[in-house]
Order: sequence, then C-alpha cells, then structure tokens
Amino acid sequence: MTIIKFITPRSLGLVVFGVLAVLPAFANNYWLFVGNLTLVYIVLTVGLNLLIGYSGLLAFMNGILFGVGAYATAIFRVDFSLSYGLAIPLAAVFTMVIGVIVALPALRLSGLYLALATVAFAQFILWVLLHWDQVTRGPSGIQVPPVNYAPLTDTFENGHYYLTLVVAFIIVWLTVNLLRSHYGRAFVAVRESEVAAESIGIDLTRYKTLAYAVSALYAGLAGGLFAPLLGIVVPESFDLSQVIVQFAMVTVGGLGSIAGSVIGAIGLVWLQESLRAFKELQEVAFGGMILLTILFFPGGVSAMLKKWLPSWREPLRRRLLDHHEHD
Amino acid sequence: MLPYLLTSGLTSGALYALVAIGLVVVYRSTGHINFAHGEFFMIGGFFAYSMITMLGFPYLLSLVLAVPLSFCLGAVCDRAVFRPLMKAPGTTIVLATVGLSYLLKGVGRYVWGGKGEYISIKSIVDPAPFLVWGMPVLPQQLIVFGAAMLCMLGFFAFFRWTIAGKMMQATAESAFASYLAGIRVERVYTLTWGVGAAVAGVAAVLMAPLTLLTPDIGSGLLIKAFAATILGGLGSMSGALVGGLLVGLCESLIGGYIDSSLQEVAAFIIIMIVLVFRPSGLFGAYGVRRA
Amino acid sequence: MKSFNVKSAVLTIGLLIGSGGPCAAEIGVTDTEILIGALGVLTGPLYNNGKTIYDGVETVYNEVNAAGGINGRKIRYVREDDACKPEQAVPAVKKLIFEHKVFMIHGGGCSNASLAAMPDIVKARVPWVITASTAPQLTDPVNPLIFSTMLAGWMETAGQLQRLIDTGAKKIAIVRQRDAWAESRYKPLLESFAKAGLKPVLDEEISADPSDATGVALKLKAAGVDGVVAVLFPKAATVMMRDMYKIGYKPLVVGGSAIGDVKAMDEAIGIRGALDNFQALSPTKAATDPTMVQWKDKVKKYYPRDEFQTWHMFGIASGQFMVEGLKRAGRDLTRDGLAKALSGLSINSDAYAGPISCTTQNHQCYRSMAWFSFINGNIKEMGQTHLK
Repeated sequence: MTIIKFITPRSLGLVVFGVLAVLPAFANNYWLFVGNLTLVYIVLTVGLNLLIGYSGLLAFMNGILFGVGAYATAIFRVDFSLSYGLAIPLAAVFTMVIGVIVALPALRLSGLYLALATVAFAQFILWVLLHWDQVTRGPSGIQVPPVNYAPLTDTFENGHYYLTLVVAFIIVWLTVNLLRSHYGRAFVAVRESEVAAESIGIDLTRYKTLAYAVSALYAGLAGGLFAPLLGIVVPESFDLSQVIVQFAMVTVGGLGSIAGSVIGAIGLVWLQESLRAFKELQEVAFGGMILLTILFFPGGVSAMLKKWLPSWREPLRRRLLDHHEHD
Repeated sequence: MLPYLLTSGLTSGALYALVAIGLVVVYRSTGHINFAHGEFFMIGGFFAYSMITMLGFPYLLSLVLAVPLSFCLGAVCDRAVFRPLMKAPGTTIVLATVGLSYLLKGVGRYVWGGKGEYISIKSIVDPAPFLVWGMPVLPQQLIVFGAAMLCMLGFFAFFRWTIAGKMMQATAESAFASYLAGIRVERVYTLTWGVGAAVAGVAAVLMAPLTLLTPDIGSGLLIKAFAATILGGLGSMSGALVGGLLVGLCESLIGGYIDSSLQEVAAFIIIMIVLVFRPSGLFGAYGVRRA
Repeated sequence: MKSFNVKSAVLTIGLLIGSGGPCAAEIGVTDTEILIGALGVLTGPLYNNGKTIYDGVETVYNEVNAAGGINGRKIRYVREDDACKPEQAVPAVKKLIFEHKVFMIHGGGCSNASLAAMPDIVKARVPWVITASTAPQLTDPVNPLIFSTMLAGWMETAGQLQRLIDTGAKKIAIVRQRDAWAESRYKPLLESFAKAGLKPVLDEEISADPSDATGVALKLKAAGVDGVVAVLFPKAATVMMRDMYKIGYKPLVVGGSAIGDVKAMDEAIGIRGALDNFQALSPTKAATDPTMVQWKDKVKKYYPRDEFQTWHMFGIASGQFMVEGLKRAGRDLTRDGLAKALSGLSINSDAYAGPISCTTQNHQCYRSMAWFSFINGNIKEMGQTHLK
C-alpha cells in the first residue's frame, strides 16, 4: 500500500515512458505501429490541453493543423526534396505561423462561438486541401517515402518509433516546465476569469496567442511525424472526427492535466484498437465508452487519480464544480 | 437562371431551418448545444421507415407516430446523459453529446444498415414537380417550407404564452433562480430535450423523401444548422428560420454563379465571416439569450 | 544492440513453440482451416459497400464450408475495418498480417485506404485479391501476389464515354464528386476524351451528400449539354437526376458501377419517368437475373437483415473466383502456390456479366460490363461491353 504514496504525476510519467521505451522488444509490427501512433497523439493531446484545459480556449483547429503539418512535411519532402530532418521542423514552424494567424481573429471569441468558428475554419481548410490540386494533389493525397534511419537502425519502424518517443518525451517535459513557470499560472488565470486576470496585469492577447502558437507548433510537429508513419497524406485523415478523438483524449484524461493527456492518449488509442473486435459496432462501443467514462469520471482520469492517490498534486487542473465558466 | 437558383436555395434553406429550430429549442432552455441533434433527426426518420416497412403501419400514421417516439428518445437521453452531468463543465457536456452522437450513429448503422445506399421514404403527395410563380418546385419542398414556418410560429407562441415555455426560458436564464422559484428544473430539461428531439423527428419525416436517409446524414445537417443559428443569432428562433433560408440561398447562388465546388463549403465560410465580424448574428445579442 | 539480441531470442523461442508440427505449414493455414482476412470499410459513410460485399463473399464461403470445405479445410473469414481512411487501414492490415496471421487478404474497398495498406501487404508477401478498389496503381505494375476481381476505374469511364458517343451525344459534360474514388477515374476519363478528339463542355462538381443539385442542372442545360458522364455515388446521382427532371431537362446520363442499382434509384426519386434517359453500367448481371434467385435466398439465410443489392453480387462473384483458385492450389497450400493458381485462372461466376480471367501479365482480372436502364418500371439490359 505504501507504494501508492510514491505515485505522482512525475513518477507515473517516468514509468510510462520507460515502458514505451522498451516496447519494440516485445511488440510485433502491429503493436509497434499502435505504439508509434500513441506517441504522436501524446504530442497532439498535450498541445490541445494547453488550449482547452489550461487556457480555457475552446479552439478545435488542432485536427486540421495536424493535417497542415503533415501536408507541409510531405510537400517539403517530396516537392522541395528537403530531408526529413529539415522538413519536419520547418513544417512545425509553418503550422505555428498558421495557428497564430488564425488566433488573431479568434481572440475576440470565446466559448461556443469560438468552438464553432474553429470548427468552421477546420472544415474550410479541409475543403482547400481537397481541392487545391496543384499543391496538395487533391483527394488522392501525397505519398511520402519512409525516413531513412540508416546509421542508427536499419528498420524504419524501430527508428521512427524511437524518434517519436524522444520527441514526445521532450515535448511533455518542456510543457510541464512551461506550465510550472509564470506562463502556466497566466494561462490558468485567463481560464478562470479573464477580467480578474487583466486586473492583475496579465496581457490577455499575449498569453492567449502564446497558447495558440504552442499548440499549433505541437500539432505541426505531430503531423510531421505522422506523415512518414502512414506513408500517405490524404485530406480525409484530418476531418472532424480527428479533432473529436483528440478532444475526447483531453477530456477523458482531464482538463488541465498533462499526466491526464498522456493517459488519455494512451487510453483512447488502445481503446480504438481493442474496439476493432466489435466490427460494425465500433461506433456504438466508442460512443458508449466515452459516455460511461464521462458519467463516472466527469473530471477525467486525473480527477479520479487525485481522489485515490494521496501524492497526486496537480494545482492547475480544472476543477469540476465550476459555476458557469463560459463567458 | 437566377429565379431557379433562388427557389432551390429557399427550399434547401427551409430544410436547414427546420433542423436548426430544434437545436435552438434545446439551447434556449438548457444553454447547451446538443451535438447529437443530427442523430436524433436520423433516428426519427428511421423510426418512421421501420413503422412503414417492418410493421406495415399506414404511411401517414407512421409519420405521425415517429414524433412521439423521437420525443421519448430525447427524454431518455436527457435522463441517461444530461441529467447526471448537470454540474459538469461545459466542455464535458459537449463531449458527452458528441459521444452520444457516435453511439446513436452506430446504432442506426447496425439496426438499419445493410438495406441499401440510403433509405427512401415516399413523398406524402405525388412527387411530380409543379410550378409556383413559374418556378418548378417539388411538393415535398413546399411542405418542408410550410412546416418550418409553422414550427417557428408555434414555438414563438409557446415561449410567449404558455407556462411551460416560460419555465423553459427561466431555466435558461438561471437554473439556480428557477429552483428558488419552485420550478422543477430537471423536469423542464427533460421536456426540452424531448421537444427538441421531437422537432428533429418532424423534420426527418418531412425531409426524408428529399434528403434520403443514411446513418451519416446527421453530421452534415448539423453543420448547416449551426451555420443557420449563427447567422440568425444563437438563441433566436426567428433567427434560425431566417438564417437557414439565407444559408440555403448563399449556397445556391455561390454554387450556381461562382463554382459548383464551393457549394459545400459556403456554410463554413458564412460561419467564419459572421463570427468574426458580427458574432451576435442578425437577431441575437452576444451573450444574451433572447426571444 | 541489446534490443536486437533479445528480440531474436524471443522470436526463435516463439517460432519453436508455435510451429506445431515437424514441418511448418504456411501462415494462416492449418490442417482444418484457411484463415482469410478482409480489409474494408465497415463504419463511416461508405459502410454499406463494405458490409454488403463481404456479406456476399462470406455467403459463398459459408456454402463451401457447409459442403465440406476446400481440400478438407474450412475457410474462416475475419474482417477488419479501415473506415475508408489510411490511418485506420494501416493498423487494420497490420493486425490482419501480424496478429491474426492470415493466409491471404480478400478485400479492399476504398482506394486511399487500399493504397495505404499496400506497402505492408507487399512487404509481407501476402496474396491479395481485391474486391472493390479501383485505383490503377494496385494492379499496374503487376505484382505476382495481387489480383483484382473488379473493373478498373478507367475501364468504366472509358465505357461510359463510349456509350455516350455511340448514342450520338455531341456536347458531353462531366459531373463528379470530389473524393479519391472519383479522382482515380477522372484523369483516365480526360484521357479518353482526348483520345476521342473531344473536350468536356462542362466539368461540374457535386458534393457526395447534397440536398439540391439544381444549380448544376441549370448550368448543364444552359450550355446545351446532351450527354453527361456521371462519376457519382448513388445519393448524389439520385438528387441530380431528380433535379434535372424538375427543371424539365433530359440529357442522356451514363453512370458507373456505383450507381448500377437503377431500381433503387427509381424508388428513391419516386417520379416515374425521371430515369428515362439514364443508363448505368454494372460489372454484374441484373439483380433480377434467374441465376441470382438462389443466391438471394442464401444471402438472406446468413444475413437476414440485409436487403439484397448489387454489391452482394460483387462479393459473390469474387468469392466464387477465390474458391476455385483455392481448390486449384491444392491440398499443399502455399501463398506462392495460390498466386500461381490464380494467375492462370478463368471462371464464369453466377453474378458477373462476363468471365473473371487472369493472365500472368494482367492481374486486372475482370473487364466486362453490362448496361442497365430503368424504363416503365423494369430493369432492362441495354447491352454489354467486354474489354480485352
């Protein structure tokens, strides 16, 4: 029983990453792919949580920015013949710029209006991806070659897995530290009450834009890692269901909890794969699981952990019994 | 060409308006958007289909019965999903309704799938087109148009003059104050969800001959309904109607005059433009829920 | 490289334990069973095509199993969903190959999904018989282990255009959807136009789920179009035909295999006469053909909730082809053996209008189409086209 005392967000995180690090030794090709996908989603979910969970900004562009990052990587790699080492970071920065550009008009909106505006924007960009044949190759998408990890390891699957693992770890570590700093407290202040935040001198525009920028950067990076993993970049991979899955990961994990995002990402990828057994009933099972999780753990997994584990401390988590938080 | 485009824009717009009205009813009373509204629509239509083909009920009776069945569906979902979550943050409720929409869509696919690309329900009247002021219109489209107007007027009267309607507005304004005033808020919510679903059922039954039912029809219509409510102003019933008609018109004109490929994205462009420049829409007031 | 050594050790031990008998049988084949995987769309907007085609295939397999199996083995058919998306197709096919360890894959619906899954299938050297994907890159260049029992997209559009030309249409337009399926047909269609010395008068797009297509119909009418190549799915085609009728415009419209079910279209439109100038091709015979009666009953037996559709016939034809190929590959069943048996196989199935026949150079094994129209309440076959 005393071991429970040692379970903190940090120790759990180390264990999780430790397990993920040795996964390739045990996993067959299928599970290795699933593991790799999970790591990509960890990066995405952490970024989305920054927006929705920590800053309270209901922005649902993460799915399409994920796509922008993937497409940008593909175009840099295939059309401009850049190596992946250049293409992926460039794509991430490009996505961040797009995210900031969108953030500017979005700053004026909040709550449901922001949500709907970002959903509309995402669908619009999806339309562009589908129709801009000269650049995006339209519905057939862009096929991308695998990454060559030659001096390190000779299988693409292993090499890419470890790259994504390292990136995910760094992202999580960076974000935790970012949130521990005054930035984190500023984000939460914005979430809890914009008026109060402004009154203590927090520049809303600056911090909100930063939140958008960072989550866009993460999404672009995730897209860059996703493109060679799948081998093909097509518009339908980034439709509304993409951001819905990410949203589910954030909410099920717990708003305002990085550990929750990691757990949510792992949990939902694993859930989607294990629901394959349901064949046609997958959607019923998925919707049902989401509902059950919400009904029993309305605050997400992190709230549940907080209740059961004495050492689980996450001060910036979004509390459950909020009086109306929508402005 | 213009009059044809206008007519077809108005008739499609009436479809969107009818779906949007149901969405607004729930929002007006609970302050939440039901992301499963499109699926209520879909299941309502399938209820009617099942009664016609599987149970062999007479056609009109099936259409009429689909409405109370949809009401029950809405009420059940309220008890099962919404009521336990009344105190949860807004994002959680959003996700809950999204999860519900997946669930309902999957159920729809399982129960009514395998029957064909789409399920068709015959028109109430002979579907041959006839002329209205020289423009060819399908009779079913006129019925939908008329129904949208009737719904709007009906709800207007309901909110203005009935006690139930006033209770629903009260709960929207402040659930806490409504408790204090002795209003059984949970009951009002259940009623609201039931009514919202029933409206979706009515819409489905009237629109099915035009839109051809598939389990996936909900999401596409929901987005158009959003565009309609945003354009008209969130929370405004008349806004939903006018907004719906305008969305239909814009789609038709953009598709006809600029490029046919733009037709499906017109709704999103509308949402973005309205929200950036005039978030309150045409009739709504930003942040305030009003008649 | 520690991880490598651990991995090889685990693998070796695993192989020793798992190989069973003195000589390791082919993957997915045991003494009593052949494990066949189906990769296809089970959820999402296109679920109907996936489900019904595989129900058709499985009906054939169930019948064969009931009659004793193939060379003493029964077929077990396991489906994995790709939801018509590459990011689902890749884990689905990996699960089939590495978890279920199937002998071969019999399936493939959406083109993007199939193309995404292809590298894994090729790398693992798993035989693949494609039931519905029409992307040309799947069978061209020829892979010794990959076969298709479905018409290639370009064959359909070439046939559609030819049909219009043969019936005298002079101003021909294209109406299409914006998805990978339509895309793979669009470029070859433009080539067919060029070859015939023609240019499309108009090139219009309809969404896959429209509520109204009046604008497109008006544009076509205004341009005096008298022939339309419809690269559309049923919903879009139905709405388009209805709206054309509504404005009193009746060009000759020729559709592809996706809208081959003319009877369902007529029911959905509900207006007698709307389809008078409509023809669609199908790789299958008419669903009302006498040979299909027994199959209708069989499908009903195993899948009582399905309504019999042309898609079931796709599955039945492909299933019959597979059964014959497995029989010819013999009791000593190997992947290469199957591929060899299929390479020279030619059968006449109950459901298809023409023979399914493969050669070593051409794994696009099906090249025939039948033309259907719906006049006065009856499906009428208007002719057949057989390509080499």
